Amino acid sequence: MIKQLSVFVQNEIGSLAGVTSVLKDNNINLRAIASFDTPEFAILRIVVDQPEKAKSLLSEHGFAVKMSEAVAVELIDKPGALDGMLHVIADAGLGVNYIYSIVVREGKVPLMIINTEDLPKTAAVLREKGYTVAEQEDIKS
Amino acid sequence: MIWAKEETLPRKELEEIQLARLKETVTRVYEKVPAYREKMDRAGVRSEDIRSLADLQRLPFTNKKDLRDNYPFGLFTVPKKELVRVHASSGTTGKPTVVGYTRKDLQTWTECVSRIAAMGGATEDDVAQICFGYGMFTGALGLHYGLENIGAIVCPTSSGNTQKQIMYMQDFGTTLLVATPSYALHIGEVVRQMGIDPEKDLKIKIGLVGGEGMTEPMREEMHKLWGNDMKVTQNYGMSELIGPGVSGECLELCGMHINEDHFIPEIIDPDTGEVLEPGTKGELVITCITKEALPLIRYRTRDISRLMYEPCKCGRTTVRMENLSGRSDDMLIIRGVNVFPTQIEEVLLKVPEIGAHYEIIVDRKNHLDLMEIKVELADESLLDSYAKLGELERKIKTSLRVVLGLDASIKLVAPRSLQRFEGKAKRVTDLRKS
Ligand SMILES: [Zn+2]
Repeated sequence: MIKQLSVFVQNEIGSLAGVTSVLKDNNINLRAIASFDTPEFAILRIVVDQPEKAKSLLSEHGFAVKMSEAVAVELIDKPGALDGMLHVIADAGLGVNYIYSIVVREGKVPLMIINTEDLPKTAAVLREKGYTVAEQEDIKS
Repeated sequence: MIWAKEETLPRKELEEIQLARLKETVTRVYEKVPAYREKMDRAGVRSEDIRSLADLQRLPFTNKKDLRDNYPFGLFTVPKKELVRVHASSGTTGKPTVVGYTRKDLQTWTECVSRIAAMGGATEDDVAQICFGYGMFTGALGLHYGLENIGAIVCPTSSGNTQKQIMYMQDFGTTLLVATPSYALHIGEVVRQMGIDPEKDLKIKIGLVGGEGMTEPMREEMHKLWGNDMKVTQNYGMSELIGPGVSGECLELCGMHINEDHFIPEIIDPDTGEVLEPGTKGELVITCITKEALPLIRYRTRDISRLMYEPCKCGRTTVRMENLSGRSDDMLIIRGVNVFPTQIEEVLLKVPEIGAHYEIIVDRKNHLDLMEIKVELADESLLDSYAKLGELERKIKTSLRVVLGLDASIKLVAPRSLQRFEGKAKRVTDLRKS
């Protein structure tokens, strides 16, 4: 299980840059980012190497931030890999709320970050089927 | 503490004083001010027609427009050389409203403010920080002299530079804060952001707020930021009448006691001008009966309130005016429905998931009035999903519909992103007028 941050951002020019510049100025590395096309505001999901520090810095800068857990699974680079993984989750009766990815990992395979209503169960069924579920330490560097 | 014996007079005795002072004032303005003479002649009422307090109703009203038309000194009853101070309040358009004081007027003002400060718990042991803007406005200097008269240490820090305000609070051991409710909330937020716990790290125990109305949920918000032990009372006044010092809440928090030996209140129907029964809600009209330079007769305040003559637990016998439920000037008419911004504020401040600041934007598209309300997201746990945030918007919308009978669109914005005010808050933008 890894930690992700959900940040409230308004749909305004520069609002995403506002988040990334706080991270950059404090040498926090952004590992993954996801946001959707919404008319009014967006919940920006990010994965960083120092989540606690990032949360308190963003709060200080006036952002509403929530830290929560997410399942990060290694995705083997072959056709149908994601399809197989999603079927494992669906077969366990779990719905995916959202999914995004960490692609660049210096020679390591990409990670898919998944949120469902039952994270421990999701991690367990994936492990059972032979998937590698990453921990926070795995995304340090 | 009750500052003056006039605050506890039996009603009969008080009314005798009021009548004598009213007669004297009316006679004086008729003689000295051509504008009043014309108005009274037109209404067919002479000074000697005022034989009882009920005859007050026969006199014509004074409006803000009368002050503007007679700018700057036309309504004054004394020659310029008897004035020792002038103040002005800026309007949204045109010339400001100018008010003047003789030396005796300043003494009256100081006395009235001292009473109100004492009602809120101020004593000679207090260190009072005045965070009202100094200058032509009456708020700051009114509280300044009133508190000095009580014997408190007065720190005229004025408004703005919030960090420095907090430094003085810490270094001087400030015990009493004077500010608009919106600025007091803003200072409280900054105090918390700086990691200061007001209950442990500061000595502030009294808040005297004024300059704009404070709703009950706003008072609760004040306690959340400043601690439950702080005594927060609001007071009321306007420069045309004297400045602050017309009325103030006692610690029983059941309306604002009017200094009735100086001001006679009436409640009228704002549309017909008719005087309403005691206890009925309507527009507050005030007659100044001790002012020398500018004794306004039946001044229409445009503030909506109610008068309560029942005795108060604090021991004062003076009438209480209910905390303002809005200004008839501020009233918005949206799709034919009368809406007071304070009604919206009461709803919003009861929603714990959002902050205390808000903005109302009214516009008209395709001949239809639209109201948008911006609120700051405070509850970070809702960031799990769009569904939870959507649920919050719907919840606010429903509560507003219950109170107003209108639909508003709710726009969630980031914490601390709405404008903060150091004086009176300007929370309504009506784009239909531009
Ligand atoms: Zn009382």
